[in-house]
Amino acid sequence: MHVPDGFLSPQLTLPAWAVSAPLWTWAARRHFGRAAAESLPVVGSLTALAFVIQTIMIPVPGGTSTHLVGVTLLALLYHPLVAFLCESLVLLVQALFFGAGGITVLGVNALAMGLVGPVAGWLVWKALRRLHERAAAFLAAWVAMQAATLAVAAVLGLQHALDGRYFPVPLAVVLPAMVLPSLTVTGVVEGAYTVFALSILRKANLRGVSPA
Amino acid sequence: MASRPPDPRRQRALLAVWIAAVFALSAVSDLRVLGASAAALGVLFGRGIFATLRRVGRSVVPVTAGLSVSSWALAFAVQGTPPPLAPFAALALRTALIAFLTFAVLGRVNLLRALAPWPAATRLLAVTLGQIHALRLLATDSLDGLRSRLVRKPRARDVVRGAGGITAALFALSARNARDVSDAMRTRGF
Repeated sequence: MHVPDGFLSPQLTLPAWAVSAPLWTWAARRHFGRAAAESLPVVGSLTALAFVIQTIMIPVPGGTSTHLVGVTLLALLYHPLVAFLCESLVLLVQALFFGAGGITVLGVNALAMGLVGPVAGWLVWKALRRLHERAAAFLAAWVAMQAATLAVAAVLGLQHALDGRYFPVPLAVVLPAMVLPSLTVTGVVEGAYTVFALSILRKANLRGVSPA
Repeated sequence: MASRPPDPRRQRALLAVWIAAVFALSAVSDLRVLGASAAALGVLFGRGIFATLRRVGRSVVPVTAGLSVSSWALAFAVQGTPPPLAPFAALALRTALIAFLTFAVLGRVNLLRALAPWPAATRLLAVTLGQIHALRLLATDSLDGLRSRLVRKPRARDVVRGAGGITAALFALSARNARDVSDAMRTRGF
């Protein structure tokens, strides 16, 4: 669901950078200091895994694309801010080396897929994990996917409202185009992936892994 | 005589100019200005232009041009009247130009050298890039293994079923490998 470079004007991308930059600094200081030496390799591996699963993108006419995100798992295991940092890193690598997303839209994409989604998922996880852990993980990932998709669709709709010549597709077209595949397919697969990966991590019994 | 390594300050300055140029390009919606920018970029990055164009043509143009055309068609279907073509053409051209500029500049910058003042960022980037490479290799290997075990071409269901069994082993291997890289970098002062 990345927004590619050139889909959003600086009217939206610059404020998103202004919000993201201090959050990156704060999150890095809080979660990637010397105390993170134990967890950094696992975080790096999960980030790489998120990168790999995000490369399978299905273009969505009227919107951008739909794909798995995979960082809700990081929010459940560590903290939503860790997910935000790692998703930002994934987006940066994709923008620099693979031409997906982009540097101007990095703030928007990071906030939507790295923060809005994982925070929503993490709240669901916190509320439901005592009732049934697997169901909570599935629902958390599904909700995270819907929240991120809604955020991306809202930003594209806002861009159209600001300047219809710049982004010519109205919200009435963008919203269903983005949300329908996410509700029915990618959200469900993301939920299944998160439950599966969580159980694998438990079995692997790695150092530096403990659910938040 | 061995060539001198690139100056990190020059690398960072190039990155800063690239970011400013990309933001400036992202503000343009006029097709004539985008056309002039394309000509200017062609002159500025003449060396290796075909390799960069090939990369943009392979990784960006099919998706964004396809999205522009299909979005135009969808907007036509929803609204009942054909929307103007120029904004959709500008959208596709703008994304292609930004991708061209990005690939052209980053081909001339050593990113890890530019990040040298921030060791933690360098370490996370190195670990992640290494793992991306390792996971891509492992995914290719497992797909080759699956192909060799089947008499017919593997279907999506075969791939999913096969992936389930090996993901745990792959992930454990990847995490251990990442720990080795991370420990090695820490002992070298990162």
